[in-house]
Amino acid sequence: MNNGNGKRFLKPGKYLMMGNVAMAEGALSSGLKFFGGYPITPSTEVIEHLAKRLPEVGGCCMQMEDELASINAVMGASLVGAKAMTATSGPGLSLMTETISMAANIEIPFVFCDVQRCGPGTGFVTVPHHNDVGLTRFAGNGEFEVIAFAPMSCQELFDLTITAFNYAETYRCPIFILSDAYLGHIHEVVNIPPKEEILKRVIDRTIPEDTKGAKFTYEDITTHKLMIPKPYIVGTEFCPPLIIHLPHNQDGVLMPEENSLRFMKIMIDKIRDNIDKISLTEEYKMDDAEIIIISYGLPVRASYRAVDLARKKGIKVGIFRLITVWPFPKDKVKKVVAGAKAVIVPEMNYTGVIAEQVERVTDLNIPVIKVPKVATLHHPDDILKAIEEVAK
Amino acid sequence: MNRYEIRIVGYGGQGIITLSKMIAYASGICEELLVTQTEAYGAQARGGRSWAEVVVDLDRESKQIDYPKALKPYDLLIILSDAATKEVKKEVIKKEENIGLLIWDSSTILGKFRAASKMKNLGLPIQKMAFEKFGDIVYGNAILFGIFTIVTKIFSEESAIETIKQFVPSSTLEKNMEAFKFGKQKAEEFLTQLKEGMS
Repeated sequence: MNNGNGKRFLKPGKYLMMGNVAMAEGALSSGLKFFGGYPITPSTEVIEHLAKRLPEVGGCCMQMEDELASINAVMGASLVGAKAMTATSGPGLSLMTETISMAANIEIPFVFCDVQRCGPGTGFVTVPHHNDVGLTRFAGNGEFEVIAFAPMSCQELFDLTITAFNYAETYRCPIFILSDAYLGHIHEVVNIPPKEEILKRVIDRTIPEDTKGAKFTYEDITTHKLMIPKPYIVGTEFCPPLIIHLPHNQDGVLMPEENSLRFMKIMIDKIRDNIDKISLTEEYKMDDAEIIIISYGLPVRASYRAVDLARKKGIKVGIFRLITVWPFPKDKVKKVVAGAKAVIVPEMNYTGVIAEQVERVTDLNIPVIKVPKVATLHHPDDILKAIEEVAK
Repeated sequence: MNRYEIRIVGYGGQGIITLSKMIAYASGICEELLVTQTEAYGAQARGGRSWAEVVVDLDRESKQIDYPKALKPYDLLIILSDAATKEVKKEVIKKEENIGLLIWDSSTILGKFRAASKMKNLGLPIQKMAFEKFGDIVYGNAILFGIFTIVTKIFSEESAIETIKQFVPSSTLEKNMEAFKFGKQKAEEFLTQLKEGMS
């Protein structure tokens, strides 16, 4: 079998790349070995590109018979130690939720790319709509936490996919990349760093040197602190005797009912306790800002322009950008919005999924203004209008 | 940030998306400028009304192009079909001296195109010339690319030639290069006329 490591990395340099392809290349750089998927507009270029590229690196790209089979194949590949991912759109995500819930419970790491299209139902297939933001947070029955990234450029699609794979390895849970029909098809220049630099960033799937003393548990027996072990690999010595998708102990043995709460706590706190490490945010002209824009994904780029235009008019406005949307960094946002004149949340959906999260941590006397847009991008003027309205 | 806004509209199959990618490649890869290309996606790209947009940031200090779509008024608007003429109005093109230009194909736009006469415009029977001179309408793209190179001066001729080599099959390279030169020549004639008209 071709181990193809020479082809895992593109020659360093600049490439004009489509968003979906940049994401696929980011995955390959992370060491992706398995892609299971079912083509769906607007994510199809991901599977098309990987069908060509994965065999070159000794990996496997499988087009399954449907979405259910795809996500189960991804889970199986990850269990035996392959870095795995799938890409789909909203309708595919809704079919896959059952397995995502199970993967979260067995703590199987993989990356899930959702190239969102307009919905609900089948919807308009070729236009963007950030309408799966809520679904990714609650993707399946039961309680669990996920991590979701919202990139806004082709370069970020490449870079954040690498980060997503690293998070999957570290936190042992499904990681979402929230792209959309627009971002997936933008062409921009992507700077591919030398492979040595990429390798420094990548966390590999390895097993501990001493598998005899290996732990699958979260609790450090001596300090009683919560710790996250590496993902186990079926077929190696580093694997619990039983893998079960019910509340279980360190050996995979079913836990009695009274301990289920403890299991839930561990599953959810592994993310919540590390929120400061997980949550990536960015600030733009926030130093003296009285009006705060909180946004994620492509609307951030329209916001940059709106802020620059508003600043020329003497309005003190800045942007607090969420690069990771989930888990929602409530403490950071609470600090940022404290004392603000108003908070504006431009989102490419009507309900304002993140606006509701912002409302949760904002004083009642500070208005939180939604700027919804569906099936198209925000024009900078849409956001500027909202800024001028509150600045009056 | 110094945005250069380009929009190309016509019908699917004319090579609009290829032309926009060539502009993006020459600006972004050869000249190392920031660039964002967006395009019609879906059935219209294979027939029907199709469009593509490119934003080039001429400011080398910039870190990121903010809004990814071309903003009105455009610096350059290329109109290649009858249906697309509807979106041409005085205010969609920049009016400042030396910037703001409409390029249109008089062999595919058969109806009256009054709006064009109200702005700086270059109308040429591009597809007809491509067919008569080079035997196929596909060479219209290289003609347009030649015109673009000269009128915008965003990238050098060397960058344009390197781009053509990247994008066209080697069997048609020679003809594409000829079409490119032809386009360049037409643009130079246009610029000379423009200068004379001004003086």
